[in-house]
Amino acid sequence: MNDFPLPVRAERSNPLARVFDELIDFCRARSMFMLHYCTGCGAIELPPAMTSRFDMERLGIQPMVTPRQADILLITGYVSIKTLKRVILTYEQMGSPKYVIGICSCTVNGGMYWQSYATAKKLNEYLPVDVYIAGCMPRPEAVIEGLRKLMGEIKAGRANSWERYFREYDRYLAAQQNLFGPNWQTPTDIIGEARDYQLYGPGTEGRHTELLQQHQVPLQPLRMTLHSDVEKSS
Amino acid sequence: MRPENYQAQSHPPSHEYELNFGPNHPGIEGNYALQVRLHGDTVVSAHADGGYLHRGFEKLMEGRLWIQNIALVPRICVPDPVPMEVCYSLAIEDISGLQVPERAKWLRVLQLELSRIAAHLFYFGGHAATTGMYSPSFWGVADRDLILDRFEELSGGRVYHIFNIPGGVRRDIPEGFLGRVSALLDYLEARLPEYDDLLFRNQVFVRRSKGVGVIDQQQALAWGVTGPNLRATGLGFDVRRDDPYLIYNQLDFEIPTEDSGCCWARTLVRRSELQQSIRICRQVIAALPDIGGPVRAPIPNPLAWNVPVGESYTRVESSKGELAYYVLSTGGEKPYRVHVRGPSAMHAVQVLEKMVTGGRLEDVAQIMFSLDACPPEVDR
Repeated sequence: MNDFPLPVRAERSNPLARVFDELIDFCRARSMFMLHYCTGCGAIELPPAMTSRFDMERLGIQPMVTPRQADILLITGYVSIKTLKRVILTYEQMGSPKYVIGICSCTVNGGMYWQSYATAKKLNEYLPVDVYIAGCMPRPEAVIEGLRKLMGEIKAGRANSWERYFREYDRYLAAQQNLFGPNWQTPTDIIGEARDYQLYGPGTEGRHTELLQQHQVPLQPLRMTLHSDVEKSS
Repeated sequence: MRPENYQAQSHPPSHEYELNFGPNHPGIEGNYALQVRLHGDTVVSAHADGGYLHRGFEKLMEGRLWIQNIALVPRICVPDPVPMEVCYSLAIEDISGLQVPERAKWLRVLQLELSRIAAHLFYFGGHAATTGMYSPSFWGVADRDLILDRFEELSGGRVYHIFNIPGGVRRDIPEGFLGRVSALLDYLEARLPEYDDLLFRNQVFVRRSKGVGVIDQQQALAWGVTGPNLRATGLGFDVRRDDPYLIYNQLDFEIPTEDSGCCWARTLVRRSELQQSIRICRQVIAALPDIGGPVRAPIPNPLAWNVPVGESYTRVESSKGELAYYVLSTGGEKPYRVHVRGPSAMHAVQVLEKMVTGGRLEDVAQIMFSLDACPPEVDR
């Protein structure tokens, strides 16, 4: 999982800032909104985990419907190629810091569908994954255990693999282009965001981002028509 | 957000607009999408967009041994996996002429009915949540978990059991199992009046679902609707009674029907089916102690098992509708062709598209849940 281990968050010299950093990490670990995108069969163990028997909410974990407000992207099981495109689009829309959890064996190495022509095998090639929960399928206890592990990592300042997506964007884009073809593009400007977050690294731009810029078609705004205009024109 | 099959187009000015309903939408069941065209709140047309869960099962099964596919088939329909295993096993037994011991048949029926209860309990919660009621989903999931505990005791797996194999079931039931299932059934039956008060007689739910998503009997037959959705249009067709498999012809149960064919009727049919399933389970529990013998017919070495040449089309009644397997063997150690006729593929594509057209946007999710379509089985 940690192909490119990142250092633990650099400690700031100002002691007050250090206290703030720790406080913020503590709060982050205690209020995680997870985007519940049922990508595969693992989603069937989430309702038991969320409802009264196992009750995820006591850990401060709640389902959230919009990617903009979510912290965790749960990949519940195998991702078919069509789904993976939506997963990447969703991931890029989420605000940082963001965490990815791969549930089920299929996200680790393809699982049962290792010879399937329709699924992406290793999720880690396309997105930085923080925690894997193996099993087919993992029990609700295992899901909660994985989430607790993520909470611990966030609290300790170690769950920063989302930075890797900006630092190593060219590598992730290479895998995405291999799978989806050279025309693959998303509306999010990752390189600009990497500069904005001060996470621009040597791996952010490269051969594959050049290819992306060649093919990128800028989004055209659609003409909006007001109700009264329609009445006049018709 | 720009999915790969969506191109921005300039339309002539109109009141209509397009909305992508799913795949990442709290109102949609699983990973599935609908592209709806709306005029205000009214749905003008709908286009089902599946394929998000496609794994290529039918191709995968051609590349694996007969016995390996047993682990693969329950993944086709996640909430209701037992009918998948049983139907695939029945097809192989039909081709190879294996005689299933009597006790195994009764054990299979017990699992099938428990799985049906679990699937229906799961379904009620989802359907109620689309009308804004969240308590039933908490109740349903919690009660379903009790059934999953019994499955875990029986097979070791909560969701995927892989307990039925060609020739019977893997092993006999543990000691005291029937007593615990019996206590569970008593509890579930005692819960039913509470469910009635919470959901089925609740005016919030009744007024939202009555008269929504209507389909009449002729249309339902023409579109290939089966199972509870067909029985909600007044036609009491059930594979368990009309083409009995296993020991269903020795059991005493009724086929509940409703006439109006709306979301409300489909819910009522499933609610009555809960009672009938409990009744069937009770009969099995009463009869099982007197049925001795093995639970598994001897099969050849499963790792080098050449099922004889032949083909079989076997159907069972799953909680979603009529489920069938077409298995073709050319005498090899792997199937030559396996086709799955899933009920949801009909319900969630053609029926759903036509049913939501002309309806309102807020009813789209409700109609999809009331059909109890299972997206992994649509895409396979």
